[in-house]
Amino acid sequence: MIYVLYLIVAVICVYTVRHYGFTLNRLFGFQRHPYIDIDTADWPRVTVLVAAHNEEKVIASILAALMEAKYPAERMLVVPVNDRSTDNTRQIIDEFVELYPGRIRPFHRTQGKAGKAAALKDAMELVDTEVILIFDADYIPGAGIIKQLTAPFFDPEVGGVMGRVVPVNVGTNLLTRLLDLERAGGYQVDQQARMNLRLVPQHGGTVAGVRRSALREIGGWNDNTLTEDTDLTYRLLLCGWKTVYQNRSECYEEVPETWQVRVKQIMRWAKGHNQAMATYALPLLVGKHRATLRERLDGALLLGVYIMGPITLLGWIVALAVFYQGVAQLHGVLALLSITAYAAIGNLAAFFEIAAAVRLDSHRKRLNLLPFLILGFTVSIFSVSHAAISQLIDLARGAELRWDKTERFRKAAS
Amino acid sequence: MNPYLAVVALLFLTGALFLLPLLPAMLELRRKADALPLSLIQHHAGEIRYFADSFRAYLQPLGPTLQECGASGRNASGVMPDGTNYLVLGSGSEAVVLPLQQQDGICPVLIASATDLSLSKDSCFSKDIYSSGRFIGGDNNHYRALLAEKEAYLGKTSSVMRWVHAGGELSADSGCKLAARVSSDSRIRLAPGCSFQRLNAPRIEFGQQAAENPTQPLSPVPEIPLSMKPQRVVHDGDFEIRCGAAFCGDLVVRGKLRVGSGARVYGSVKSQKDMVLGSGARVEGSLVSGGKLFIGASCLIHGPVIAEREVHVQTGTQCGHPETPTTVSALRIEAEEGVLVFGSLWAREHGKVVARA
Repeated sequence: MIYVLYLIVAVICVYTVRHYGFTLNRLFGFQRHPYIDIDTADWPRVTVLVAAHNEEKVIASILAALMEAKYPAERMLVVPVNDRSTDNTRQIIDEFVELYPGRIRPFHRTQGKAGKAAALKDAMELVDTEVILIFDADYIPGAGIIKQLTAPFFDPEVGGVMGRVVPVNVGTNLLTRLLDLERAGGYQVDQQARMNLRLVPQHGGTVAGVRRSALREIGGWNDNTLTEDTDLTYRLLLCGWKTVYQNRSECYEEVPETWQVRVKQIMRWAKGHNQAMATYALPLLVGKHRATLRERLDGALLLGVYIMGPITLLGWIVALAVFYQGVAQLHGVLALLSITAYAAIGNLAAFFEIAAAVRLDSHRKRLNLLPFLILGFTVSIFSVSHAAISQLIDLARGAELRWDKTERFRKAAS
Repeated sequence: MNPYLAVVALLFLTGALFLLPLLPAMLELRRKADALPLSLIQHHAGEIRYFADSFRAYLQPLGPTLQECGASGRNASGVMPDGTNYLVLGSGSEAVVLPLQQQDGICPVLIASATDLSLSKDSCFSKDIYSSGRFIGGDNNHYRALLAEKEAYLGKTSSVMRWVHAGGELSADSGCKLAARVSSDSRIRLAPGCSFQRLNAPRIEFGQQAAENPTQPLSPVPEIPLSMKPQRVVHDGDFEIRCGAAFCGDLVVRGKLRVGSGARVYGSVKSQKDMVLGSGARVEGSLVSGGKLFIGASCLIHGPVIAEREVHVQTGTQCGHPETPTTVSALRIEAEEGVLVFGSLWAREHGKVVARA
């Protein structure tokens, strides 16, 4: 059993080193922003897809914001993908269509498979541009973001683009404040470091873009997954397309305000991510494709982030079992040293990353909340472990994956 | 010691130690001292003229004074609502002498001229300058920021710290240091020896002899059925497009790329390492290099030019077109005199105009 513990500690240490590496790179390394300075160009025609399922509270805000975007109006078409909404989403969209003739072409979907990927797949019939940008309905894009997300597509190697997500409802409660810290670490440090190191920045499926010819080459949207964004990242990578991250293409989003919604959201992410891991880990590591060695390794580690929850839990259980079982003296010293070393620096890796992100964002006092992250991490570990176990049970039963929409908290625009 | 007391004390101390780091956390949670979302720029897209436009808006209260001074030819002084001292000039040339003499060569007031403005040499202007007409700056002057509604000329070895915008042509004589946003609504002309960071104008010329490439834009590629069209070619290792050859489609090279002299690319090209364009090469799309990019003489590039390290552009090369302006972006840009760009140049670290090789 001690060897199982060693293995788990070794895996956790790999992720620890990764966290520290990313943070140090972000703090002291060369920062890559190759496309952010493109402000003048013969801008291509773009289609902006806005995924919306029962979004009456938020859809007006994003459509209004998109109409204010600094992008040639005749080259930008907004397609609200109204996916089987049963509230007033359709009416609100249609009001905007009347208000801005020729600039919004709605896609009202009344039947079909549930899920964002399925809706986007169907909406592709309205898309005739090479550049496709995607936003979820609860996002509030700034005036410059359309140009910023389009600019990387001047690079013929780029198949996907991802911008930075910034929570707008930070101050609501403890959960939103913790999610703000997590997002900062995830984007400001993790994603940008992967961009700097030419690894695998992850496509987030919102505040994002994809090249139509690349999408066509990889077989279009995959509606058999819960996280079409992760799926897209790996299919692009395996086909020789790059996904790039634009840290300065920032966009406000609304984060969950209740733990129940948060748990549901992270469980969906975990299931989708694990699904992608099962599908792409092996082809990525040993398959014949154009990804570099560093992309293969980082991509594999990225695929494993949600499985680390149950592995950590297992580690705790095994450690307890080893303790009560009693271990040989040699193992005891080794175990003691490794666990002490890990406890001293390993557990702090993610905290270090978040602290660096907060510092880079020039925030100060919210750093005081760092100890509370233990709470957020604990909830996440149990949630993703629960997701992994239920996924295995569903798999054994042959049950289909179910897509759950994340609840919105914003009051409807009057 | 009572063992029960010891246990209670131990529990108390352990609890206190556990709660200690949570104390500032709980205080922050309660006070919400830093609970606003990250401040994002929502209403503009980082346009280069943003500061010039803001300065115009800032000067609006001075509008009547400017008109009055312009009509009478007199000067006026006062204090802006934010406490900045200003001097409004009715006639452009002699009025700035007084504050300069008082402040050891540093002019600490905002200057707004109702007519053309001409400034003497070897002066430092620590506040922004506005000219309703043309602006002519003497040699070796140092400006904080400058807005001229018509043409602007910066004398030799002058420098601008923050931004400069001209409604008409903006020209900078040799040795000027423009460590800021430089823009014009018509044309920017920089002499050899000038350094820059961010330039934007419908037409940017380096040196006196930049001339538009007489050759017309590439004629469109004859229509080829989609199934036969090479959409994107990816090549592992180094690659060369031979002199005078034509390449149709997008090209991604995972090594170094050399585009031979006179070669034509009907698409975009990217090299993950350095790229060299031979003289007279023409690229219809964009040029992207993960390393250094060397563009030979008399090349014509229509799309954006992006290099993650350096760009060196030789004389006679034209980037962009009057109808389709573009961006040249790199950490360091070196442009020879005779280079012509329609659109923007962004040298994040350093840009320089050099004499023809």
